[in-house]
Amino acid sequence: MIKILFLLFSFTIAIFSKTETVYERNCVPCHRYQPASLEKMFMTYLKTYSGELSVKTTLKEFLKNPTEKDSLMSEIFLDRFSVKDKTTLSDKELDEALERYWELYNVKSKLK
Amino acid sequence: MFSNQRTQLSNYANQQVKALKHLHNDFPKRTIYPRSRLFSSAIYDIEGHKIFSILKNPNISFEKEIYRVGEYIHFVKSLDDYYLGAKYLFIEIPEDLTWYYNTISNIITFGALIFIMLAMFGFFFVKILLRPMNESVQLLDNFIKDTTHELNTPISAILANVEMMDMESMSERNKRRLNRINVAAKTVSHLYHDLTYLTLSHNRESKDEWIDLKQLIYDRVEYFAILAGAKKVTFELDLKESAIFIDSVKIARVLDNLISNAIKYNKRNGTIYIVLRKTYFRVQDTGIGIKSEKVQEIFERYTRFNTSEGGFGIGLNIVKGIIDEYNLQINVESKLDVGTTIQVNFLQGTLDD
Repeated sequence: MIKILFLLFSFTIAIFSKTETVYERNCVPCHRYQPASLEKMFMTYLKTYSGELSVKTTLKEFLKNPTEKDSLMSEIFLDRFSVKDKTTLSDKELDEALERYWELYNVKSKLK
Repeated sequence: MFSNQRTQLSNYANQQVKALKHLHNDFPKRTIYPRSRLFSSAIYDIEGHKIFSILKNPNISFEKEIYRVGEYIHFVKSLDDYYLGAKYLFIEIPEDLTWYYNTISNIITFGALIFIMLAMFGFFFVKILLRPMNESVQLLDNFIKDTTHELNTPISAILANVEMMDMESMSERNKRRLNRINVAAKTVSHLYHDLTYLTLSHNRESKDEWIDLKQLIYDRVEYFAILAGAKKVTFELDLKESAIFIDSVKIARVLDNLISNAIKYNKRNGTIYIVLRKTYFRVQDTGIGIKSEKVQEIFERYTRFNTSEGGFGIGLNIVKGIIDEYNLQINVESKLDVGTTIQVNFLQGTLDD
């Protein structure tokens, strides 16, 4: 019986872990503990780079090679949290994560 | 062109930028796009993709700052901070066409005034230019009018007395003299009838009736026989029965003038052929003729192609007036030194109609 329950639990975990996207697995957990939410950051990027392609391209480059100069975060934020580490995700995974990020927060679908 | 609207549109754009900034900062708590009663707007990103639009005319252009599209004016503002991702802000207002209607109204008003002034100047100038010609025509008309009244009694007296004279008891010499008096009196009489018709016919009402043309032609040929004889001109008649519904005085004027001209402009020992059919009659002479290019001018009043013969040049003008009045048709063919043929066509009719 215990064996069966364990198998069911493992199976459920496996299913749920597969439905999580690259973005949710790799971005959300770290940003969850930061004062600037991912949504606020998105609006900052949107205000600075405007279009979908510009935002995604700039973000991708930054994630691959983050520097203080290219960061849009405030000095206080950077002093406290410093610049993030380089991403370990592949280009394909980065594209997937950014696609999801855009989907979640772009204003086009929300404006009324 | 848009100078009046530019400032207003720029103010609207600044107003909308402020509203977008507030919305950006409050997003996503507030998601209602800022709207105004005074204008419509739209935002586009740096890649030219639409973010949101409430434009009534969606045909936008990134090339110009301000432009007309349909009945609207679009103003484009490029933003420094891309609130909500907006690089381009479009402001739309309906075009105020007051200036356009004012311009059209001014063009019509001033155009009409200029046209009226030019027409008035033209009218006066033409009047001044034509005055000498009108005066001479008027002078001739007045002269004819005045003298006509004085001609009737003496001519009638001469003709009546000539008719009553006993030719049998006269010597040949006196007969010839009397003939000359008769010819001269009939010539003046013919002229008198033309002038009377011309000056007084407008006061007379037409009395249309069926006229036996064959009989009328015989009568007129007989009347002009002495005139023709003086020039040794002979008549050759080929007349069939025919009738026309017309005023008797007027058809007599037509025939008299055609026959009189045929005698007047014929050569000595010439011939006049008169043909009558159901739908036309034709008077042909063997006279001096006229150049074909001058044929159309013969109907103009006071036009004479040969000044060696008497007359005022009013006969064919009278003929044309009557022909036109009754919608008849007249054809003239003439050859210099060969002769002239004039044919009058009319609708077929009979005395029994």
